[in-house]
Amino acid sequence: MATDTQLRDDAPGGKSGITVHAVRWVENLSETQFAYLLLVPTVLILGVIAFWPLLSTFEMSLRADALIGAKPIGEYVGIKNYVDLLTGKRNAALTRPFMPGLSVDGQFPFLHVAGGTLFKSAITVTLIFTIVSVFFETIIGFGQALVLDQDFRGRRWVRVAIIIPWAVPVVIQGMIFFLLFQPGIGFLVEPLQQIGLFSSTPLINSVDSMIIVIVADIWKTSAFMALIILAGLQSVDRSLYDVAKVAGASKWQQFKLITFPIILPTILVAMLFRTIGAMRVFGIIETVSSCSTVPSLSCLVVTTFSQRRYGTAAAIAFLTALLIAIVVSVYIWKFNDEGGV
Amino acid sequence: MGTATPDESEREPAYERAAQKAIRDPEIAYRFAFYMVTAFFLVTTLFPFYWLLVLAVTPNDAIANMGILPKFITANGIDPSLFNPEVFLTVFEVVPFHTYVLNSLVLALMTTVIVLVIASLAGYVFGRLTFPGRGPLMLLILAISYFPPAAFLLPLFRLFTGNVDIFGLSSPTIFNTPWSMVLPFSALFLPLSIFILTTFYGQIPDGLEDAARIEGTTRLGALFRVIIPLSAPGVATAGVLTFISVYNEFFFSFLMSDGQVPRLLTNFFANQNHWSPIVKGILGYQGQYAQFYNLMAAASIVGVLPVVILVVIAQEKIVSGLTAGALKE
Repeated sequence: MATDTQLRDDAPGGKSGITVHAVRWVENLSETQFAYLLLVPTVLILGVIAFWPLLSTFEMSLRADALIGAKPIGEYVGIKNYVDLLTGKRNAALTRPFMPGLSVDGQFPFLHVAGGTLFKSAITVTLIFTIVSVFFETIIGFGQALVLDQDFRGRRWVRVAIIIPWAVPVVIQGMIFFLLFQPGIGFLVEPLQQIGLFSSTPLINSVDSMIIVIVADIWKTSAFMALIILAGLQSVDRSLYDVAKVAGASKWQQFKLITFPIILPTILVAMLFRTIGAMRVFGIIETVSSCSTVPSLSCLVVTTFSQRRYGTAAAIAFLTALLIAIVVSVYIWKFNDEGGV
Repeated sequence: MGTATPDESEREPAYERAAQKAIRDPEIAYRFAFYMVTAFFLVTTLFPFYWLLVLAVTPNDAIANMGILPKFITANGIDPSLFNPEVFLTVFEVVPFHTYVLNSLVLALMTTVIVLVIASLAGYVFGRLTFPGRGPLMLLILAISYFPPAAFLLPLFRLFTGNVDIFGLSSPTIFNTPWSMVLPFSALFLPLSIFILTTFYGQIPDGLEDAARIEGTTRLGALFRVIIPLSAPGVATAGVLTFISVYNEFFFSFLMSDGQVPRLLTNFFANQNHWSPIVKGILGYQGQYAQFYNLMAAASIVGVLPVVILVVIAQEKIVSGLTAGALKE
């Protein structure tokens, strides 16, 4: 049989019978068994490094904080951590509040955020950061993709220039924007102060720092949007444009009636990926400003963790994942509405 | 393009003629707008790097109220006392920054190898085999990306510092070894590579694999000698993206290392190397040397260089990888 010849080729120099046995054993597995065998390494590493920690964190989130005593974690308290966080009861124990001060009354828009807590509590900070940065990244990324979709001399180098910010390490991105907005160094801060946009210390003022962190994020990740949208643009059938030209459609009409509808699903996918990333923001805040100035959800998990409030930190981490899951479902629901792939 | 673009070097009337022409032929106006937009994107993406270079070569005591031009360019010509290229040597003397960069490169390389081997097997399974549980398994792998890295941190930290009991034995202490970062990085970036390779492997015609099998090649032989070589572009893409992602990573790099590196490069593989990556190197300038803005800028330039070189070489791979990974999901 041909297989036997090949087996000898596979084990040259008369390797031990174990190899031959192993190869033969693999050959005789069914397709399903073979599939599961090849997935063993994946399952092992994801199991130990991803799924086990998640389960362990979840278990921790059901326990009380133990600030005193030998044990790092307290007794089982059920969903108390979650309830306390969501009702704002736990705010006082944290470095920054989790929920903003909310009040409901008959006046539009019915739900009111107490003054001053908007840019100081984790939920609103994360949502504001996500909405504003993803909005601008989509528009700028779309523009960059349209530029890169054209044929022109030097396109290769323009592409490198547009991709590079995306490849810059987060810590260096942070350093760049720290050096751009540190008062006294550059030319950017003073004019912005004169027009009243920035306070005298932008890097420790919550609103100013939020703006700087958003600008830094847009600078780095618009390229990511651009690359995904570019992929969508390049899959558009070029003959559609020829037909449109013959029919006398203007550039704008071609864009509105052909390009945009075809790539809308791609744009939504790109926005989805970016939204997941933006809602986990941590590094750029820690390097440009600080977690107490712009307290995002990930920031709050880390600061609460370092306060040794393990139960609360775990609960915040899971609430973050829950919030991301809710946003992801909204996208998927919208995506199906648009008749995406 | 067939139409000529307006030449800006011509005189006033020519400019008016060009404007007239642009009104008659919208193609010219369109070209002009295109070049303006391209120039805008180039300036906004590249300006921060220019700013780093300006700050780096300016002596630190002269860094105050900087203009857009570097200070050594004065009204009376070049002032060499305000031009300090030696900063690119000093930067390695105050903090052993080269060791941090080298640590990062080694960590990125280790992660890339591990991810490629594991993702090759998984990508083959998801791309070419049909078996019960395929869909749910892929969804489960995708769901990992919903969780903030912070959700993994607490248990992993305890695991790596030897505080978790496994069957009565405490876990090995791997904090301050490369593994305390390489393992989380691998788990974190594995899903992306699996999705990229699944698409690439799925595109190879079944006939090629069947032919190899009929020739008598074993299953694994067909995978390693036929499928993987044929999808080399996909493997390269996944490798480049993983490498860049690890080099850029902040969260675990920041929290899973103690910031220590050996002063001397000869101790690179010795116990003194706590494998702190570039994150800790850059932050090292923020503490002790917080007022040395020129050093911070110079270190940032040095830290960016490896990825810039990689992007220039591998730009096509990056584009094709994001295409494959994002759209076929």
